[in-house]
Amino acid sequence: MIRSAYSHQAAVAELSEISAGPLDVVGLLAAAHHPKAGAVVLFSGEVRNHNEGMAVDYLEYEAHESMATKMIKAIIADANQKWPLNIAVAQHRTGKVTVGETAVIVITASAHRGEAYAANQYIIDRIKHEAPIWKCEYFSDGTKKWGSNCHC
Amino acid sequence: MKIQVFAVLKEYFDKEFELGDDITDIASLQSHLSCLNASAQGILQLCRFAVHDEFVDHDFTITKNDTICIFPPSSGG
Repeated sequence: MIRSAYSHQAAVAELSEISAGPLDVVGLLAAAHHPKAGAVVLFSGEVRNHNEGMAVDYLEYEAHESMATKMIKAIIADANQKWPLNIAVAQHRTGKVTVGETAVIVITASAHRGEAYAANQYIIDRIKHEAPIWKCEYFSDGTKKWGSNCHC
Repeated sequence: MKIQVFAVLKEYFDKEFELGDDITDIASLQSHLSCLNASAQGILQLCRFAVHDEFVDHDFTITKNDTICIFPPSSGG
């Protein structure tokens, strides 16, 4: 049986903004369809194996969960004010995230691609710089360092 | 009052600790913490403060029953 894409929409609507477990990137994309949207943009922020010349093993994310949740909701509400979006959702990991895993996902959908791209970038930029979420980098040489977002 | 610190601030202070009632606003809290650990002075200048899940300014009045969260610059994503 072919399941309607729209039957997944409740899952997107009820998404929690902060997750201690792996993000279901494929499942969220499967749910992110809307009859009025001709464009769906998905951004997956992933852990890379290097930063500033150092080999990275994994990251640990910490968040002030209630404030981060509230702030991501507010950022998405702002994006909905600025662009005519059919879907706008975001979810960020906490805890240990290994190389190649998704640390943050943003999905936007709109009638045309321009709005979906612009809103997606707006949402991820603000989440990175404003939400009370922090990464600690664990390097292959056994050292660790709390990250900053100065370069991205 | 109860203080909660996050991320890199945990390298300078306990994650959670109590302070006396003589501190009356965020600015005096910031000064007090800088005196407790001078090496944290630089990072404290960059921090945001929150009370009851709301960001507050430096002139915000705090009382003995408050929990104050101190956030270094965000580094999510």
